[in-house]
Amino acid sequence: MKINKKSVLQLGVCIIFFGGLGILINNLTINLIRTGLGFNFTWLFKPASFALAEHPLPYTSSDSYAWAIFIGWLNSLKVIVSSLILATFLGTLIGLARTGKNFLLGIISAGYITVVRQTPLLLQLMFWYFVGFLSLNDNMFIQIKNIFNISNEGIEFSGLTFSSEFLALFLGLSVFTSAYIAEVIRGGILSVSGGQWEAFRSLGLSEREGITRIIIPQALPAIIPGLTSQYLNLAKNSTLAIAVGYSDIYAINDTIINQTGRAIECFIILLISFLLLNLVITNTMEIMNKLTLKSKKYG
Amino acid sequence: MVKLCSKIDMNYIIFLLRKLRKALFSNVFNTVITLLIILFISLACFQTFEWLIFKANWKVVSSNIPLYAFGSFPSNEQWRPATWIISILSLSMLTLCGPEWKWLRKNLLIAWVGTIPLGLYLLYGGFGLSPVMSRHWGGLTLTILLTACSSLLSLPFGIVLALFRQSSLPLVYRLSSIYIDIMRAVPLISVLFFGQLLIPLFLPAGIEIDRVWRAILAFTLFVSAYIAEDIRGGLQSIPKTQIEAANSLGLNQYQIIRFILIPQALRIALPALTNQSIGLFQNTSLMAILGLVELLGVGRSILANPEFIGQYIEVYVWLACVYWMVCTIMAVLARHIEKRMTINQSNF
Repeated sequence: MKINKKSVLQLGVCIIFFGGLGILINNLTINLIRTGLGFNFTWLFKPASFALAEHPLPYTSSDSYAWAIFIGWLNSLKVIVSSLILATFLGTLIGLARTGKNFLLGIISAGYITVVRQTPLLLQLMFWYFVGFLSLNDNMFIQIKNIFNISNEGIEFSGLTFSSEFLALFLGLSVFTSAYIAEVIRGGILSVSGGQWEAFRSLGLSEREGITRIIIPQALPAIIPGLTSQYLNLAKNSTLAIAVGYSDIYAINDTIINQTGRAIECFIILLISFLLLNLVITNTMEIMNKLTLKSKKYG
Repeated sequence: MVKLCSKIDMNYIIFLLRKLRKALFSNVFNTVITLLIILFISLACFQTFEWLIFKANWKVVSSNIPLYAFGSFPSNEQWRPATWIISILSLSMLTLCGPEWKWLRKNLLIAWVGTIPLGLYLLYGGFGLSPVMSRHWGGLTLTILLTACSSLLSLPFGIVLALFRQSSLPLVYRLSSIYIDIMRAVPLISVLFFGQLLIPLFLPAGIEIDRVWRAILAFTLFVSAYIAEDIRGGLQSIPKTQIEAANSLGLNQYQIIRFILIPQALRIALPALTNQSIGLFQNTSLMAILGLVELLGVGRSILANPEFIGQYIEVYVWLACVYWMVCTIMAVLARHIEKRMTINQSNF
């Protein structure tokens, strides 16, 4: 009787779900036939015929769409990895300042955190881009012996050039995420009991040594899960690149959709890209988590 | 008496000063840092005030206030969104520091939910008001509308998803897990993009949903996955013994969910839920990229006006202030509600 009821319920949910899905897909096929596009991925190998301002690997507009998407992937990874590093660094500093004894530093970092967290990321990105970089006009070069140039084209540092789009996104994402990471770090440090601080002080360790050797290792198990979700958010937020004109995976897919109208296919590509990216970040952080737990056990 | 008071005060001030000295100037390193910070703060304050008062040209803000508030709503009908925003503000004030009448407090939730149909009526028109198309909606009004409608819609959806994910039926559990995991893995902008471009493809010919509702639908789809996870956390923290107790009292499955699980799970998840709606408020700004003229979109369109070209800083600082203010109001309201909820709990 009970099994029967359960299977009937499941069957009901199944029918509703797949019935709804069937109707939607039916509508989709009708609409796709009407627009005459159909559903296939052969267009991926046709020439893309749009230029990209930013490409880590050689790219010309006669390359295929697939190559353009790959370049978009690389651009996304570039900005995600670099902002991840800066955000972690900044976030740790601010988090430590927030928990530290110097209350002036505490007030400043608390102010930083509230301002950054209470304004939308998109607004911040636009601010960085339009105010931070584009307002530097051509004649306002900051030049140091041809090694270090800043202009509205970006920053050139001994042969390496970073476009202003990249820099705006990089700084904006780092600053935004650092405020959240600071709160994660603060939570982690507060989770270590106060006795540990007194203990290392009474053992004669210096403040810096105590924090790096006693407090942070114990705070890490509480920090890493929060850090993981912040890294995932950062990766997802990097798609706002389109607002400053940086050609990341989302922006390139957007261009392709505008050019070819292949919305469904591009959407599937985007979906798979982000599922993969999430998988990579979660697994890396899982390994980190295991390592810290291990070091805690034997260390 | 006066003498005693002043003595205590003096002692207290000396104590505070000592503490200050210990915190700020305990060693050379700390002293240097403190002095640097004071220098930095005073420089930053000086620069900011100088800019705010002398350099900034606030005409770009002051001459466009109606635009920021209501978008391109017909100017002789702008009292309608204004009424709505003012009614929401006064309701917040009433919630925060209104009198403690029981009938009032009981009906506050209904009043809050009621603001949404009121807003829709005032914006759409009809029934005595002249109708206004949704493409004329904009500014802060649209931002608040998007936030309110999506928050309200995603709550029941999130509860259902969370219950499904806790379900013992494997198929139901799988389906909701897949949905939640996919939604949490993709960026919001791609979901919004799906809403604007792909939802029309999934509808039969002849049926159309307008842009604002497609955006609300997309926000709902996205946020409900996050809300579901928050509520699941609440559900998991309810001890198993409560369900056993309810079973032994003879409550059926529906009654257990309705009277035992949902109220407690919602109360536990409340801080997370209010954070979600504050996040949602900020995230409505993404619609500026996808063609809705909400608060940030208005800013962009004003900056595209040749009269105000290049005045990025003024517009962005102003917008940041508006977002910051509304977020702060929402946060204060949220803390207030959380506090009241815990008081209720101790009354049990």
